[in-house]
Amino acid sequence: MRIEQDVTRGAAIEISVDGIALAAFDGETIATAMLSQGMAMFRRDARGRPRGLFCNMGTCGECMVTLTAENRRVRACVTDAQNGMDIATDG
Amino acid sequence: MSKTDVLIIGGGLIGCATALHLARAGASVRLVEAGDINAGASGQNAGSLHFQMERRFLENGAALADQAARIIALNRLAIDEWRGLEVDLGVDLHVSQKGGLMVAETPEQVALLEAKSRREISGGLATQLLDGDAARALCPALGPDVLAASYLADEGHADPRALTPAFAHAAAEAGAVISTRQHVLSITRRSPGGFDVAAKKGDEMETLQADQIFVAAGAWTPAVCALANLHIPLFPVALLMNATERTGPILPQLIQHVGRRLSMKQAYAGNVIIGGGWPSRLAQRPDGGFDLNARASIIPLSRSGNLRAAIDIVPQIGALNLIRSWTGVTTISADQLPIAGAVSRVPGFYVAAGGSAFTLGPTFARLIARVMGGERVEALDVLSPDRFNHLNSFMG
Repeated sequence: MRIEQDVTRGAAIEISVDGIALAAFDGETIATAMLSQGMAMFRRDARGRPRGLFCNMGTCGECMVTLTAENRRVRACVTDAQNGMDIATDG
Repeated sequence: MSKTDVLIIGGGLIGCATALHLARAGASVRLVEAGDINAGASGQNAGSLHFQMERRFLENGAALADQAARIIALNRLAIDEWRGLEVDLGVDLHVSQKGGLMVAETPEQVALLEAKSRREISGGLATQLLDGDAARALCPALGPDVLAASYLADEGHADPRALTPAFAHAAAEAGAVISTRQHVLSITRRSPGGFDVAAKKGDEMETLQADQIFVAAGAWTPAVCALANLHIPLFPVALLMNATERTGPILPQLIQHVGRRLSMKQAYAGNVIIGGGWPSRLAQRPDGGFDLNARASIIPLSRSGNLRAAIDIVPQIGALNLIRSWTGVTTISADQLPIAGAVSRVPGFYVAAGGSAFTLGPTFARLIARVMGGERVEALDVLSPDRFNHLNSFMG
């Protein structure tokens, strides 16, 4: 869900999360792109249950994802989506 | 007005565990905590179960090391205590006792390990000395700079967020009455024995009458004991802890360093917890002295030094994100050993605080409860508050 009226967006871009193509806009975070399209699970816990992000402001570390090109773990909530980015949630 | 056999001041690990043991033994127990259960060092520490002699006892010369060796007997009791805790409390505390390695990187440190191990073995603690390759065979994540390690199969870690609440819950089930956000304002001795304690919760004053008082208030212990006109020589110490992001299993053991400040373990969820005694900065009161009620602040050089030590020993740590650093305030006594036992200057008054109390706290609690029940417990002699009796010659 995105606000559609009276809003100026960056250019349309596309990222890939776990092989699924997600439409996003320049200036949005990876977490925003995921959540806007219903991808709320960022990992599974030790008991196999789905876990989402918690604080969405860079503090809790619950939204770590892997940028596969650099094999680098980042916080999805404070990392801007960039066109063509390939992301894995399970690192 | 509340009247109990025992009043415990402090809702940390030792206070809650002692409440459990005393309540189980049939005593009526009231516990008051000025903040929240497990809010101090009991819940802030890094969760090491370390039974090898601590590095700080070795770096200050032979006299202190001899004194520390006397705590080995307590460590042996603590090993058994931890093996039974989850069953006793019926709670998953993420206790892991898959061994601990204290590593050395230089020939001088290897010599320290050898001296330490000799002391431990003579005290009945089965440490084994391993060369670097043997240590890496046990823990392949160890880097090439590890020259040797002493291994103790009983060491490990547990979850400090889980333990004290579990003790508090069990104590309440056993009949102890626990109140939080209740501040003790005064302690008055009654004649011929016992105490009247004034406590305040919100705007409400309450008189708590008890035959025995047990102060287990961590860094606040000297201030609480001052209410009874007693000196307890404990000094606040602010430490640093760090957590990396979760990663796959890389560290089954507790890792410590004999010559550098480092402790490291992988928690149940997969985060690597890194600490080892790096200082943080205690908050200051405007009128002078330390402010224990304000959070200690992180010293950037401590953090970088701590992480450097971790990466030097386990190079893979360098690829992980640091997700959290926090400070916690514990205490250290004038002679570095914890203080636990009866203050004979004031009959009925007991105290326990002074560090190492995640690993040893459950054992202190069990033994203190026996002492308060009238038993003579030799294992606690080495920690007796009476070794500082001279400070209370004109007090009490």
